[in-house]
Parts: sequence; structure tokens; C-alpha cells
Amino acid sequence: MAGSPAYAVDLTAMIAATMLPFVSFLTILIATRGRPRLSAGLSIGSVTISLACSIALLALHFHLAAPIEFSTRLLASGGLDIPFGFLLDRLNLLMIAIVSAICFLVQVYSLGYMAGDPGFSRYYGFMSLFTWAMMSLALSASLLQLYFFWELVGLSSYLLIGFWYEKFSATQAGKKAFVMTRAGDAAFFIGLLLLFVHTGDLSIAHLDSRSALSGVSPSFLTLSALLIFGGIVGKSAQFPLMTWLPDAMEGPTPVSALLHSATMVAAGVYLFARLFPFFSMSSVAMTVFLAIGTISMLLASTMAIVSRDIKKVWAYSTISQLGFMIMALGAGGYFAGVFHLTTHAGFKALLFLCSGVFIHRYETNDIYELSRFGARRMVIPTVSIVLGAAALSGLPPLSGYFSKEAIMGSLAAMHNPLWLAAGLAGVFLTAYYSFRVIFILLFPRAEGAASPPPQEAGITAGGHAAHESGYRAMAWPLIILSAVSVIFGFFKTSFKDFIGGGAAAGGAAGMEPSWLHIAPLALALAGVGLAWVEFGRKGAKQIGFVDRMPVLSRLFAERWYIDRFYGLVVEFVIDRGISRLCSQNDRKVIDGSIDGICEGTVESGWVVAFLQTGMIQYRLLAILGVLALLLLCFYF
Amino acid sequence: MHMEPATFPFLSAILLSCVVGMLTIMVIPEERHVLIKQVSIFFSGVCLLLTLYVFFAFNRSLGGLQFVEQVSWIPTLGISYFNAVDGFSLPNLLLTGIVFFTGVLTMWELNTRVKEYFALYFLLVTGVFGLFMSMDLFFIFVWYDVSLFPMYLLIAIWGTTRKEYGAMKLTLYLLAGSALILPAIIFLWAKSGLNTFSFVSLMHPGMFSPADQKFAFLLLFLGFGILAAVWPMHTWSPDGHVAAPHGVSMVHAGVLMKIGSFGVLRVAIMLCPLGWIYWAKSMAVLAVIGIIYGALVGLRQTDLKYVIGYSSVSHMGVVGLGLSTVTVAGLNGAVFQMFAHGIMTALLFSSVGYIYDRTHTKLIPELGGLSRIMPVASAFFILAALAGVGLPGLANFWGELLVFLAAFKVYPLFGVIGVVTLVITALFMLRVVQKTFYGPANARFAGLPDVSPWLGTPRIILAAVLLILGLYPSLLFNVIRTASVPFMNGLPR
Repeated sequence: MAGSPAYAVDLTAMIAATMLPFVSFLTILIATRGRPRLSAGLSIGSVTISLACSIALLALHFHLAAPIEFSTRLLASGGLDIPFGFLLDRLNLLMIAIVSAICFLVQVYSLGYMAGDPGFSRYYGFMSLFTWAMMSLALSASLLQLYFFWELVGLSSYLLIGFWYEKFSATQAGKKAFVMTRAGDAAFFIGLLLLFVHTGDLSIAHLDSRSALSGVSPSFLTLSALLIFGGIVGKSAQFPLMTWLPDAMEGPTPVSALLHSATMVAAGVYLFARLFPFFSMSSVAMTVFLAIGTISMLLASTMAIVSRDIKKVWAYSTISQLGFMIMALGAGGYFAGVFHLTTHAGFKALLFLCSGVFIHRYETNDIYELSRFGARRMVIPTVSIVLGAAALSGLPPLSGYFSKEAIMGSLAAMHNPLWLAAGLAGVFLTAYYSFRVIFILLFPRAEGAASPPPQEAGITAGGHAAHESGYRAMAWPLIILSAVSVIFGFFKTSFKDFIGGGAAAGGAAGMEPSWLHIAPLALALAGVGLAWVEFGRKGAKQIGFVDRMPVLSRLFAERWYIDRFYGLVVEFVIDRGISRLCSQNDRKVIDGSIDGICEGTVESGWVVAFLQTGMIQYRLLAILGVLALLLLCFYF
Repeated sequence: MHMEPATFPFLSAILLSCVVGMLTIMVIPEERHVLIKQVSIFFSGVCLLLTLYVFFAFNRSLGGLQFVEQVSWIPTLGISYFNAVDGFSLPNLLLTGIVFFTGVLTMWELNTRVKEYFALYFLLVTGVFGLFMSMDLFFIFVWYDVSLFPMYLLIAIWGTTRKEYGAMKLTLYLLAGSALILPAIIFLWAKSGLNTFSFVSLMHPGMFSPADQKFAFLLLFLGFGILAAVWPMHTWSPDGHVAAPHGVSMVHAGVLMKIGSFGVLRVAIMLCPLGWIYWAKSMAVLAVIGIIYGALVGLRQTDLKYVIGYSSVSHMGVVGLGLSTVTVAGLNGAVFQMFAHGIMTALLFSSVGYIYDRTHTKLIPELGGLSRIMPVASAFFILAALAGVGLPGLANFWGELLVFLAAFKVYPLFGVIGVVTLVITALFMLRVVQKTFYGPANARFAGLPDVSPWLGTPRIILAAVLLILGLYPSLLFNVIRTASVPFMNGLPR
């Protein structure tokens, strides 16, 4: 079967889609560092082919019934086989299409955004690494292989977040992202090893089949599900490992767009969807996931309400939307979660790319300043950002409306109405904070006639030069993504057929009360309305209701003090606590005792040396004494 | 055990080219520095080619001992010149070849007492090569001391920070190790009653009584364990790393520490398997303490070389954990990790060497912003640091994966501790990278040249090895398993 020509085509397409970006990564870093245009060409060329292959695969297998698997043994080590290969089913057909499309658009956009940056080649090299890692992650056939690329996705984020390495905050953010996700990955790795030790097979198809794990005890299943979920918490920035994501805004804006839509954070939700049948075998674990998703969603929404930094608002919204996806999946709504992942990838990339145009032009992230500089006069980004925000808020007829509605549907199917209530509150908050940004941008208030920085700013703090041709490269991706956000929602039913048929979808397809279609919309409109009252209408002071409560706004702005807590733990418990204790033990106890023994030896040598006075009478006395002792020994 | 005699004495040729290289260097006039270095590169290159040949010519389906050369030397005591390679020693042999060659290249800019340096360096490596290929207990002890003696001089003369202290500490520790090994070897020789030091004769199940095995294993483990920097006998190693000149640090951390773990495997474990099984749990405890302790102490270091030194303690703990699991996967992982760690630390020290030669400091607070000034030199260090973090795609990942996998089967708790330590390792490695290489360009070092292709050669080789094994680990595992699988199958249960 695997030898037939159709499969050979699949395999070639998958190898091309994954390996070409890797080849381009190596080529750029080794050979073409000095030639920025060539590097960009290589990288974009390879991602274009990836995109073409992904779309071809999607078209070819649109009615794929059973997953196709190719695998070969990478490593065999005495009773241990580590396979490497590709798994192709509807979920990752979709995923590779999203990933390659977003990577392609972001790379084209970066032609304008990063123009003139001294690290231009390096940037495209890392972008290719990112594409490679994410595409391979999506196509992985086994959990170990997935982990392999999972870590490489983390590495590429580290490199890209800290891309402007001369900026302390950027390198700090990159390090934080890597270490924090690593903490989650440690749990993932432990879970993976546990599963391997107990089941002996890490292939995803095996883990997802109910029959294969029927003999395993439920508590063990729950434990390993929770551990693997630790990796998802880290990658998808869920509570309590969420604080790296807002800091990751230190990277170039296209990187944020990529990180927040289709790659890094999406990897976590993708893993959840990938192992959905496995996770859903443990109802305890699913409830925990639902709770974590809910907490993250609500916490991040509150943080977004008070932020003045346009990128940070979108970053918090990413956490909260990921929370929605986790909630949907945790509630058993497989289709709703995956659908929201897809629509979110589109509109979140759009929001970041629009903000990038503003930031590139006006060199500030502050929404009030952007507003005063007259950001609204840039037509394409302004229209696009409004569309993106509307999609994020879940306003019809944009894509976000349909996916949010689906999520509410699956939450409503839960017995406990609390989840649905939390979800609806989230819908309200999302609409409020998105339109807060939009209204501030659209209706500048401060009268002090601020003039934007001159167009020919030359090299800016970020190191990029602003120029007109760059704007065109940046505008096209915006138009395409806006179009997708507008149209995509209407394909909900065909999407549902496509995804729902591929994997064993959990329940949640039951009766939906009719008010469920109205409630999310009404709440979203209420959120927009409140934002309008506080920020939009004439005479509004542009002060939110939270700003009037200093305690709350402080709590939200300080991100519920989660970050402070981690800082204290690292500083006092690790750095000044056990680490210092160990160093002192090393120096004083171990080295001290060894040096003590050495000195003792030398000193006892001195004592013996004093005995060697060279006087014959003492020698004779000593001989006599020894002989006397020997005599005593012999006789008694 | 299958023994495949050598058609040509390749192993002796490796030793011979070291010795001839040393003698040639000794007859070259002192002041002809370039010629001395060229000769060194030539002979170390010959060694590398020979080890590569042996590595690729080794028959992976046959396994057993290959390239066997045996000449009786002192028949009355049963001592013979007996060289061979198996799946355990072959990776170490290749490692030595690579580190030897790149270590010579790294010291290309040496100016003081060049002749003596390279002569002693060749002597040091001769001992290491001899130890890895010898199948005679007596010779193993001799080679151990051959590699010990030049180390003292190399550190005390060409070293840097607290060099007399470091050199003396190292020598005393290693001598203490040999003081434990020698009685154990004589004990085994006497107990066998065969009047032979040959491994092949001594390595039979039931050769030694369980009590004897427990006793001898303890002595051998402690003796070789000192060299492998087993906690709490590790403090000589960071001090020694820091004090040694860069090329010697590479051999020291890259290869010399492997002698310790290799000695534990070859002599202690293979001759006293029952002792191994008896003491395995204690070994595991020490190894896990080493893993976490090395990482924690590494967090607080401000000298680049100390950071690497303590990370070595942690990584060698992983090797120890693998050896203590008494499983095939654990042995495979441990030997793979020895190789990967050797290449990785060699790359780290080689990079630090380049940086130190330019900036004249290796204190992290004084550095910073080097990425802007020397991007290529920095990239090599960062790559090695990422390998140290256990990133997939680089060699160390596979060693750690197998070791932790084996540990999860045998000691789940230790496995968990080991994996969690990876987070701390990531924290301290990335901290060092951030403080040393990132940040605004340091005005003090402005204008320093980036690494040239020629001076970068050693790092290119080492980085390529890390990457190749990271993507294609079977290259090495196929060799290691030819030794580990039969050994574990023959183990008395």
C-alpha cells in the first residue's frame, strides 16, 4: 500500500513541506548571512513551496477517511524502538495549511517591517527554523517526535523573541519564554516517559485508540494526562505559566503575529486536539483542563482591560482566547476548539500585523499616543484592525462569531451552568477590551497637537528603516487576512463536516437552546456598548470603569502578582536559597575538609620532622624503646 | 566473546603516531613555533583519520572485540600488550581523536613554551588513547598514570586562575583514585588464580565470588568515580577546568572525565557485575545528587569556565545515572552521553578559549554584548550551551532521553528529579548566554576581530558532530549496542 504512486506523492509533498525550510535555515546561517535579499528569497521560496504542498495535500485528501501513516525507525536500542514518520489525518491537514499560510504571510510582511535591519538574514534564518519545527510538529506520527519539534518550536521562539539582543528586556523575555515553557515541558516529558514505560508505544494513533489503553488503570491515565497537559499549559501560556507571553512582545511585531496565531501557542492547543481521544478518557483530567482554561481566560481578560500597550492587549487576548479553546476542548467540544483555533489564527495574525504597521510608522506601542499621532489616517490598517477586533469580539458576520457560538454550545452541554456563565462573562470582557482599543484609536482625545515622528526616521530604536515600498509588502497580508476573517465563518458547516468526520468527536452535539444563539451576541454587543460609552462617544473621558477602582486596576496591571511571585521564588528560594547553600557547601565543607586534610598532612610532616633532630643519643633511645616494645610483644 | 584479529595493527598505529609526533616535536628547535604546530596538526590529524577509519570499519553486525592485537609481555605475571575495541570503547576512541585534533587547532595561537606544551599534550593523549583501547588490566593502570603526569605540568605551567592550587588538587585527587584502583586490580588478579591481567580471561560469569565482587566494585567505583567527578568527589574538576589552558581543558573535560566513567563501565561493571547490581542504588543516589547539585552550584558562578565545570558535574551525573540503572537503555544512553558531553564541553572550552584570548577575561560580569562584536564565535558557544540544555536536534538530547527513560523504569523518582533539573540547567545556561553575549556592544572590546575560518575550524568540526549525531543518533547507537546487548544478556540474574 505504501508503495503505490499516490502515497509516494504524499510522502514527497510532506518531506518537501517540512524539510525545505530546514534546508533554507541551514543555508542562510552558514552561507548567505551577508546577503539579506538572497536569504529572504530562500526563506520565502521554501515557505511558498511548503504552502503549495500543504494546500495540494489538503485538496487531495479533502475526503480522507482513515489516517495515513508513514514511519521508519530512527533509533533502535535494545528493546527500545524510536520511530520517526508522518501521520496524515484531517486535523493535521488543516494544521499544516494554517501554519504554512500564516508563516508565508508573515514572512512577506516582514520584508517591509524588517527592511534595513542589520540582522535581516538571521531573522529569515530563524523564521525558516520556526516554519520547519512547526510543520514537522504538526505532521509528527509519535508523541516523542512531537516533543522533539515541540522543543525546537520553543527554541525558535527564544531566538526570535530575543532577536534584538542588544535590548536587555528582549533577551530577558526570550529567556523567560524558554525557561517557563521548559518548566511545562518537564512535566510533558515526564508524562511521556511514564506513558512509554507503561504502554511501550508512543505512536499517536495508538494512544488515541480507546482499545489500546483499556488495560491501563484510570488513575495512571489521569496522571499521565495531567502531566502531558503541563506542556500545553506552558506552550499555550495558560494559568499558572502564562506570564511569559505578554513579555514576548519584546520581539519584532511580525514574530508576535506568528507566535500568537499559528505557531508556538497554537502548538499547545494542537496537542490537546491531537490527543483528544486520549485526554477524554479521563474525566477528572478533562475537568481540570476546563478549570484551567476558564481561569486563564478570565484572568487574562482582566489584564487586557487595563493595558495601554497595544501589543500587550492582543497578547492578553491571546491567552484568553486560548483559554476559550481549552475550555471548549475540555468540555468535549472538539469541533468548537479546533474551529476557534483556526479562526483565531486568522484574526489574531491580522490584529498583530495591523498594530505592527502603526508601530513601524509611529514608533510607539501606547494606544493613546498612537491615537494622538493620528494612526486612524492609515486606511488599510485601520479598517483591518476594526475587522480583526470585531472578529475577536465575536460580532457577526465575522469568523469569530461562529466559533465563539460553537464554544458556548459545547459549554452549555455541561451539567454545571457555571462554565457557561464564565464563558459568557469572557465574551463580554473580550468585546469590551477589544473595542476599548479601537475607540481610543479612532477618537483621539488629547488636545495637545502631537506631531508624529517624521516619515524618514532612518534607523529607529528597533533598527528598522521606514520606507514606502515596505508599506506595500505589509499591506497585502492585511487585506488577505481581513478577507479570510470576513468570509471564513460562513464555511462553518463544511468545516464541521471536514473536522468532525476525521476524528472521533466527543458529545456536545446535543440540543442547543435557542437563547444560546442570542446570549453571546447580546453580551458582545453590551461589551462594545460599554466601551463606546466610556471611550467612544463624544465627551467620554476615556477612563474605564476599572480605572476608577485603584485596587483592582493595580491588581490587573500587575498581572495578579503572578510574575512577582515567580521572581521572588527564583531569587530567594533558588538563587539565594538552595543554590547558595550548595555553593557554600562546595567551598566550605567539601573543599574545606579536603584542604584541611592536606594541611594536616603537611603539618604532621612538620611534627615528624622535629623528631629527626639528628642527635645520635635520641636515635639510640628510640631503638632501645622499640626493642623493648618488641620484647614485650614476644613474651606476652 | 567474539574476537576479530586485526589485519593491520591500526590501534597500535594510533598510539605510534602519538609517540612519533611527540618525539618529532622534541627534536624541532624551540623557536620554530609554526613548524611545531604544523607537525602537531599533522600527527593529530593522522590519529583522527585512523580513529575515523576504525570507527567506520568496525563491523556493527559482528560486534564483539575487533582490531585485536595481542603480544605477551611478562608471561610470569600474565601481562600482555592487548589492544582491541568494542562497542563501549569505540565511541570514546573516536571522541579522543576528535578532541585531540581540535584541541591542537584551538591552541594555534599559543606563544609561550610551545615545544614543551605540545610534547606534553601528545604524551597526555597517548595515555588516554592507550587506556581506551587496552584490554589488559595492568596496562589500563599504566595508561591511567601516563595521562595523569603531564596534566600536572600542563596546568601548572600554562594555566591561568589559581593554577598551582588547581594542578595540585587535581593531581592529588587522581592519585587518590589510582591508590584505590591498584589494590582492586591486584585483588582481582590474585582472586582469579589464573595469573592473568587479560580482560577476556577474567570476564567470565562466576569468576569471582559475590562478596569479592562487592568489595572490588566499591574500590573501583570510588577510584574511577573520582575521575568521573562523582559527587562528592567532584571539586577537583571545576578547579582543574578553570586553571587549565583551553586545549587542556578540552581534553580534561571532554576526555579525561570519560576515562572515569569508562573505567567504571569497563573494569568495575564488566568484571564485577554482581557488585554492580548490589551497589547500583547507591550509585544512582550519588548520580542524582550530582545532577541537581552541579546545576545549582553552576547557577551562582561568575567565571565562564566554572560554569562549564559545574555543568560537567551535572552532565556526568546523567552518565552515572545511566550506568546505575542496570539496563541496556541505560548503558546505551550513558555511553552516548559520554560522547555527546565530551564534544559539547570541548566546544564550550574551545569557544571560551577564543574569547579569552581576545578579551583577556572570562568573568561574566566583565563581558557582555559579545554577539555584536564577534557573532560567529558567540554562535558556537550558544550552540554548545543549547546542546547542554538537552535541546532536541543536538547530540546530548538522545543520551539524556535514553538515560531518563531507563531511570523511569528503575528509579521513577530519580528520573523525575533529573528531568526537573533540566529546567534549572536551562535557566543557568541561558543566563550565561544572556549576560555574556547579549546586551549592548561592550565598548571595551570594540574592534576585536571575529573568528576567522581557520581559527574557527575546531569549532566547526565540533559543532558539526553535535548536529550530525543530533539528527542521526543511530550512527553511534549502532556501535554501542553491539557491546551493551550481549553484555546485559550474559549477566547472571
